[in-house]
Amino acid sequence: MTTAKQVDADSRATIKGIICNILEIDPDEMTDTSRFKEDHAADSMGAIEILSQLERAFGIDIDQAELARMVNLEGVATVVGEAMTAKASQ
Amino acid sequence: MSELVLSAWSVVSPYGVGSDPFSEGIGAGRSAVDALDREAWPGPFDRCGLVPDFTAAKYVGKKGTRTMDRVTAIAVTAVGRLLASCGDELTARPEQVGLVLGTGSGSVQSIMDFTRDSLAGERPYHVDPACFPNTVMNRAAGQSAIWHGIKGPNTTVAGGWLTGLLALSYAVRLHRGGHCARVLCGAAEEYSTQRAWLEWHGRGADEQSTPLGEGGAVFLMETAADAHAAGRAPLARILATRFGAYAERADAQQALADCVRSAVRRAGVAPEDIRLVAPLGADGKLGALEESGITDALGAAKPEWIRCRPLLGDTSAASTSLQLAAVLATAGESGLGPGEAALVTGIDRDGTVGCAVLGGADPS
Repeated sequence: MTTAKQVDADSRATIKGIICNILEIDPDEMTDTSRFKEDHAADSMGAIEILSQLERAFGIDIDQAELARMVNLEGVATVVGEAMTAKASQ
Repeated sequence: MSELVLSAWSVVSPYGVGSDPFSEGIGAGRSAVDALDREAWPGPFDRCGLVPDFTAAKYVGKKGTRTMDRVTAIAVTAVGRLLASCGDELTARPEQVGLVLGTGSGSVQSIMDFTRDSLAGERPYHVDPACFPNTVMNRAAGQSAIWHGIKGPNTTVAGGWLTGLLALSYAVRLHRGGHCARVLCGAAEEYSTQRAWLEWHGRGADEQSTPLGEGGAVFLMETAADAHAAGRAPLARILATRFGAYAERADAQQALADCVRSAVRRAGVAPEDIRLVAPLGADGKLGALEESGITDALGAAKPEWIRCRPLLGDTSAASTSLQLAAVLATAGESGLGPGEAALVTGIDRDGTVGCAVLGGADPS
């Protein structure tokens, strides 16, 4: 088991931009822990969009099972960090 | 059984959003076809009847429209304006309001963009999933209903240039079958570089240079009794629709003449009662055959001709709906007068002909 690398600040900003665009909210409205579904009215389609666009933006693969952890910015950053680590070790 | 009437309408056209600019433009016979911004709209045409400054964000709203394509936004806008002009009572029982919307192929831009992303991307599934719903033909009809809370039967009709007439005919049958109390029916078409190339390659040499146009028109169809109960004066009664087919292009004139004669007979009006005629008016041979067919059927009658094609461009699937709107615009706010009738016709290059006969409001 490798330790998950936190994503750098640039990647984090990219992630936030993608999510805010999909959820149609202002970046100021989103904190690291505000929840997409409960706080920002995301639906299941929005979750799939977020996953898909992150895969394209970072060239990574994210299993759909990870959606359970991708409930806020912090969770997404962790999942993306792990996927980038997995990709680098291939 | 109470007759079906058209009692309200709304338009999004190259004249702008709304029925006022459309009525003014049609009435003045002013062309809305203008030079295209070639940077924004590359492709085979340098002129087009574009809805001016139209975007989903501007006319539908900023929220929820990020992935809404142009034809969907045109339809949602047209339906929204129609509902707004009728008041809340119309959708008080939303499951009793049907929606029949005509389309060409849905949005060919959405279909092609999505397919290209899948083929050209690093992985075939590296597509924007939110754009997938735009690739189905009934996206515009579905979104128009969802956006405005309409819950009755939702139908998409596609039939080339005759689409608007086919949608009208379908809406009549839907109502007659008892599936809903009221029907919103019409058609919408968007301009895109993708549609422009398809049209360019699909056309004959005699119509190659006709500019394209875009827009949409939606009509409220209900019984005369329901219209009166809601305080709406019927604008026109729907007396008959007819469709036919031809195998050889030279037979199109006869096919349309037969179609019009049959519809006029069914409508129970005399040819000289027909005050307004709105033909499709394709460039080249088909347009000439259409006018001759109408003249053959109406004989010595001298109606006023409303020719939309030179004013709006070729609006494809929206053509016959916009012709119908032009008839209502010309008839004016009180609609066709008692004893007056109107005829809307079309000949499609794929071998179909069709028409609708409308009548003035019953004086009783």
